[in-house]
Amino acid sequence: MNNNKRSLTAHQDDFFSVVKALLVIVLLLSIAPQALAAGDAEPAAKVVNPGAELWREVRQREAPVAGTTQVAGMDSGVLINIRGEQWRTFRMQQLIPAAGALLGGVLGIIVLFHLIKRGLRLELGRSGNYLLRFKEIDRVLHWFVATIFIFLALTGLILLTGRVVLIPMVGHDVFSVIASASKEGHNLFGPLFLLGVIGLFIRFVSKNFPGKGDIGWLLKAGGMFGGKHPSAGFFNAGEKIWFWLVIFIGLTLSATGLILEFPFFGQDRLIIELSLVLHGVGAVLLVAGLFGHIYMGTAGMEASLESMTSGYVDANWARQHHDQWAEACEAEGAVIAGEELAKKQRLRGTKNRVPDRPAAEEGQ
Amino acid sequence: MARMKFLCDAERCIECNACVTACKNENEVPWGINRRRVVTINDGSPGERSLSVACMHCSDAPCAAVCPVDCFYTTDDGVVLHDKDICIGCGYCFYACPFGAPQFPTTGAFGSRGKMDKCTFCAGGPEADNSSEERRKYGSNRLAEGKLPLCAEMCATRALLAGDGDTVSNIFRERVTWRGSSGLTWGWGVAYSKPGLRRGRGVEGKAAGKD
Ligand code: HEM
Ligand code: SF4
Ligand code: SF4
Repeated sequence: MNNNKRSLTAHQDDFFSVVKALLVIVLLLSIAPQALAAGDAEPAAKVVNPGAELWREVRQREAPVAGTTQVAGMDSGVLINIRGEQWRTFRMQQLIPAAGALLGGVLGIIVLFHLIKRGLRLELGRSGNYLLRFKEIDRVLHWFVATIFIFLALTGLILLTGRVVLIPMVGHDVFSVIASASKEGHNLFGPLFLLGVIGLFIRFVSKNFPGKGDIGWLLKAGGMFGGKHPSAGFFNAGEKIWFWLVIFIGLTLSATGLILEFPFFGQDRLIIELSLVLHGVGAVLLVAGLFGHIYMGTAGMEASLESMTSGYVDANWARQHHDQWAEACEAEGAVIAGEELAKKQRLRGTKNRVPDRPAAEEGQ
Repeated sequence: MARMKFLCDAERCIECNACVTACKNENEVPWGINRRRVVTINDGSPGERSLSVACMHCSDAPCAAVCPVDCFYTTDDGVVLHDKDICIGCGYCFYACPFGAPQFPTTGAFGSRGKMDKCTFCAGGPEADNSSEERRKYGSNRLAEGKLPLCAEMCATRALLAGDGDTVSNIFRERVTWRGSSGLTWGWGVAYSKPGLRRGRGVEGKAAGKD
């Protein structure tokens, strides 16, 4: 039984083999007269060596040629895996240096920006009144995804760049232990990330469709370089872009990650190599975005972290950064006086209370 | 310094899998793993060819380049070996290898990979030569005893050659010269240099002139 698996480009290959065979025949014909003149015996029939053609096919660069073998295993019938070298070159010469440059660059820009601009202050100080921004379920979800994401990013980056960064520092033996733990941890918590992304989608998608003022916000880069603060709704355009990046890249990371982790759906090397490429590129991009996100949520914007700790934001913060949302809340009468909220939280024993006095550190 | 190489003569390989079996036995390779395999192209059609493949001990080895924990090393004989104590079983070497040489025992649940295992050119691993540790992890170390890999030694048709690259290619070059290069230089008579057969078919090459 002939059960050769032929390559995807078999037709193309057949075509090229025919062309090559014709070329060889033409060549042979052109030297045939000399051969006739020289030979005293009957000239041998000139036949193309089937072996030569076979090796041309095996060595060809478009797609691997598969044969048959008694040995089971992934791609065991493939003699030469031509894509391994492409993946190696991409990973070692492009992805790893680019990851270093991008992550280092973004970090550098943020530090520089902070040194020059000192972040966005509350222009009018605190009002002492509050608006509820994120319910408990949203905050729990946010920190769940954040924890898993940072863990996966750290363990993943250790696998990607540890050879360059960590081995010179800690040596091969220690790094082997770190890398092994990273791999196991990454594989264990990876699948949970998908649940988190789905949760984020369900809870926040309704607030992240393009809306009034988004274009203006983008044109003014969120008022980052001075000028009047652009108008924004519950989420501004920057936050919406971050949301969609998290959803799309997050789903890509999850899909490719699951393909890598569970190699028993008959994935061959090509699919795995492509998954590794997408997974690596997506991870590096999203981590770069995360740097920006963390900066804007902490040092980059005064009083914004509170929305994700206590869930409440100062009314002045809301008016400054999300004027459309603040107005809507005020119209609904959803503004809560500081004393009232503090009392409520004390009674409930809430850990992350709103600050009693303006600019006070919130409790742990 | 020698530079160890394998070469499989496809005109001679008869897909008997003796090399695969010899390797498995000599190195007591873990379950489910074959360090060597024979691939047949165009099986059952005229012009079919078989080749025995294992690690080719690349000079610029892709496996060593991608390994995240950098556990490969090349011996003075040009043999590419790795350290199982450091390997984390990520599988990257397998994805990068041109010949599909690295293999993985399935250890845990969900098809997770154990530590990588591959052809060592019968040269063991980083442990002391022929120590029991070395034998347990990597199999035999014939090179240290002055012997060549058992797969090649076992090959009945002498299709699989192993040894210093220069020596191996000289043997092969000689064979090719004997066979000549016409389109009829394949098949038994040619591969095993039966001059009578060759002359009868009008085949050129040094062998055609001898008896
Ligand atoms: C559903 C979620 C995820 C799963 C199932 C997953 C799974 C995997 C697997 C199986 C690998 C191969 C590592 C190995 O086998 O040794 C890997 C590598 C990696 N992962 Fe993930 N991952 C997920 C999410 C993430 C996230 C969110 C990030 C980063 C933010 C990330 C960053 C990386 C990086 C940088 C690598 C190394 C790639 C390389 O070395 O070429 N992963 N992941
Ligand atoms: S395992 Fe593959 S890439 Fe590494 S040396 Fe052997 S043949 Fe070359
Ligand atoms: S499986 Fe082992 S030897 Fe292969 S690349 Fe991963 S750590 Fe290195």
